[in-house]
Amino acid sequence: MDLGLQGKKAILVGAARGIGYSVAEILAREGCDIALTARSEDSVKDAVAELSKYGTNVVGKAVNAKKADEYKAWFDWAIEELDGVDIMIPFTSAGGGMGSEKYWHNAFEVDLMGAVRAVEAVMPRMEEQNRGSIVLIGTTSVLEAMGGPQAYNALKASIVTYGKQLALFHGKHNVRVNVVSPGPIEFEGGNWDMIKGTMEKFYNAQLRQQPTGRLGRPEEVARAIVFLASDAASWCNGSHLVVDGGYTNRTHF
Amino acid sequence: MKKHVMGWDRANMDIVRDVDAWRVDPATTGNGTPVERAPDPELGTAIIPAARYYSPEFMQLEWDRVWTKTWLLGGRSDDLKEPGDYICTDIGKESVLIVRQADGSIRAFPNVCLHRGNRLRPEGRGNAEEFRCMYHHWTYGLDGKLDHIPDLCTFMQGGPDGMALTALPCTEWNSFVWYSLNPDVEPFDDFIDPLKQHLEPYHPERMAWTRDITVEWDCNWKTSVDAFSETYHVQGIHPQLKWYLDDVNVQIDCYGKHNRYLIPFAAISPRVKLPSQIPPAIYEIMVNAGMDPAEYEGRTSDIRRDVQLFKRKHGAAQGKDYSELNDEQLTDDYHYTIFPNVSVNVHSDDIMLFRQRPHATDPNKMYYDIWMFELVPEGEEWPERVRHQHFRHGDKTIGQVLDQDAFNLPTVQTGMKSDFFPGLWIGDQELRIRHFHKVLDDYIYGPGQKTADDL
Repeated sequence: MDLGLQGKKAILVGAARGIGYSVAEILAREGCDIALTARSEDSVKDAVAELSKYGTNVVGKAVNAKKADEYKAWFDWAIEELDGVDIMIPFTSAGGGMGSEKYWHNAFEVDLMGAVRAVEAVMPRMEEQNRGSIVLIGTTSVLEAMGGPQAYNALKASIVTYGKQLALFHGKHNVRVNVVSPGPIEFEGGNWDMIKGTMEKFYNAQLRQQPTGRLGRPEEVARAIVFLASDAASWCNGSHLVVDGGYTNRTHF
Repeated sequence: MKKHVMGWDRANMDIVRDVDAWRVDPATTGNGTPVERAPDPELGTAIIPAARYYSPEFMQLEWDRVWTKTWLLGGRSDDLKEPGDYICTDIGKESVLIVRQADGSIRAFPNVCLHRGNRLRPEGRGNAEEFRCMYHHWTYGLDGKLDHIPDLCTFMQGGPDGMALTALPCTEWNSFVWYSLNPDVEPFDDFIDPLKQHLEPYHPERMAWTRDITVEWDCNWKTSVDAFSETYHVQGIHPQLKWYLDDVNVQIDCYGKHNRYLIPFAAISPRVKLPSQIPPAIYEIMVNAGMDPAEYEGRTSDIRRDVQLFKRKHGAAQGKDYSELNDEQLTDDYHYTIFPNVSVNVHSDDIMLFRQRPHATDPNKMYYDIWMFELVPEGEEWPERVRHQHFRHGDKTIGQVLDQDAFNLPTVQTGMKSDFFPGLWIGDQELRIRHFHKVLDDYIYGPGQKTADDL
């Protein structure tokens, strides 16, 4: 199956590690030009250097999604560097946390507005091109209880609603919007890697909940994201795809 | 031989990141705890004979030449507030009474009645107006004088010589009381040198008891001292601490009888990738310092330094006087071995001290005393003295990290007796173990007198 990604232009936010990096790698391998960002200058540099080996145009610059003006300017820069944008995927997240109101502000600024501002930054160009594909990232924590009543879970849930309505609204411009909700994903340096090291019992409880007895790997989610981002998924619009190895208990009717 | 410690060849260690930990400039510490690296001692690479951990002969040598010769930690000064307050502490076959006198000084005596050898008091703490033996009511004053022998006239030979318990050397330093079974022991200041300058800036007298536990462990006392003298085991038995401390950027210093290492806390081990989320134990450190981790914008690798700066700025307002400590001490673990048997983690807000005592007769057993103290902020009420608890190895949890340490020790003790295990194969990260055994050798065989055939 041809994904039709050759020569496409992808903007990826929070793509220096984990699922985001894995998506960047698959896209680069498939022939996409890529503009990526993350908070840390060093990790962006490393990711750009590593991805450049696939021979496409890969550029990157660090930015903090919380700084709305700089964030907007970064997108302008990225669109200019790539001379267009076909695919945009914001991965950036403030992560979990409970016990301080500040976590709500963080999740609002990074998980929610990080996605909203990204969409608004690329939409004029996508409308103009009459072409575009956006994948937003949810989490299985919007579907089932995880780690207590957290801002992360609640604001990620709003992404699912936002994504569906974006899809309806922008369909006329041939811009598709889909949401992917990954279950727990483990990679070196990732959150679940640390949880395995520091909260072994909790980690093992997650393993028991996984039908296959293991957590997912970044590329196992990344392939689903790349599919939805690609023209191969031309009839997928406004969908919410749960990619969790069967982790969630509920039936997704 | 390759260079020791900070000269470890990190590129070839099992690490995933090369980390340069922020360090205090030694020139800025003034009269505070020195941070200069001490020159590495030349201690060679020989094995440390396993038999010294289980041989009754070696145990006897230790008794004759160490336990009965050196200064030993007896307890805390704040347990001896009033005249008549006493601490009764056991070491091997001996038991010692340390008693607050009417004039505010302390005295120490063997805890044994001169009549028929009965113990005057059980191990523990208390207050007494006099020490009266339960058996025949021979009665001693707080000063150890034998004040009354019932029916003295029936003893043709009169009372025992001097009519007093033997006075043992004792002293108070830095809120702790020390004693010796050796009437001719060296002056305490000579013994403790150079640690006064190291440990006084922590002001342990501002800290109150939070835990007082004795566990009977199924291992030799040195098996325990060794376990707390290196950070090499973090990657082995404490995997969770890799998201709490830097077990690679460790400074080791050996001084005369004592030694120490300095470990960055609130740091991520170079053995794991830098996490983007704040690890749970570091989160706790931030909360305890008064920070809101949710507000934290820096990288996880910046937290250690930022906690230091935060505590420096806000400590005084929290009633915590950090003025004599350097920035590093506001987060890090400075860990000292005070020869022979005290392992102490000193921190700006607490002290975690382990006293490791030999069993009276069995080299395969020991008493592991856990003494923990916490800084009482100025203006806050001094908490009630915690109760002493005593239990057997593995009966109760003593916290995740110490449980991990404890779990291993009986199998180490058993394994060391194998005919196929000649002794400990010690690396540079374990230099303090080598130094500790060298000091022990010097006590037992005389300075530099140990031969290849000796245990």
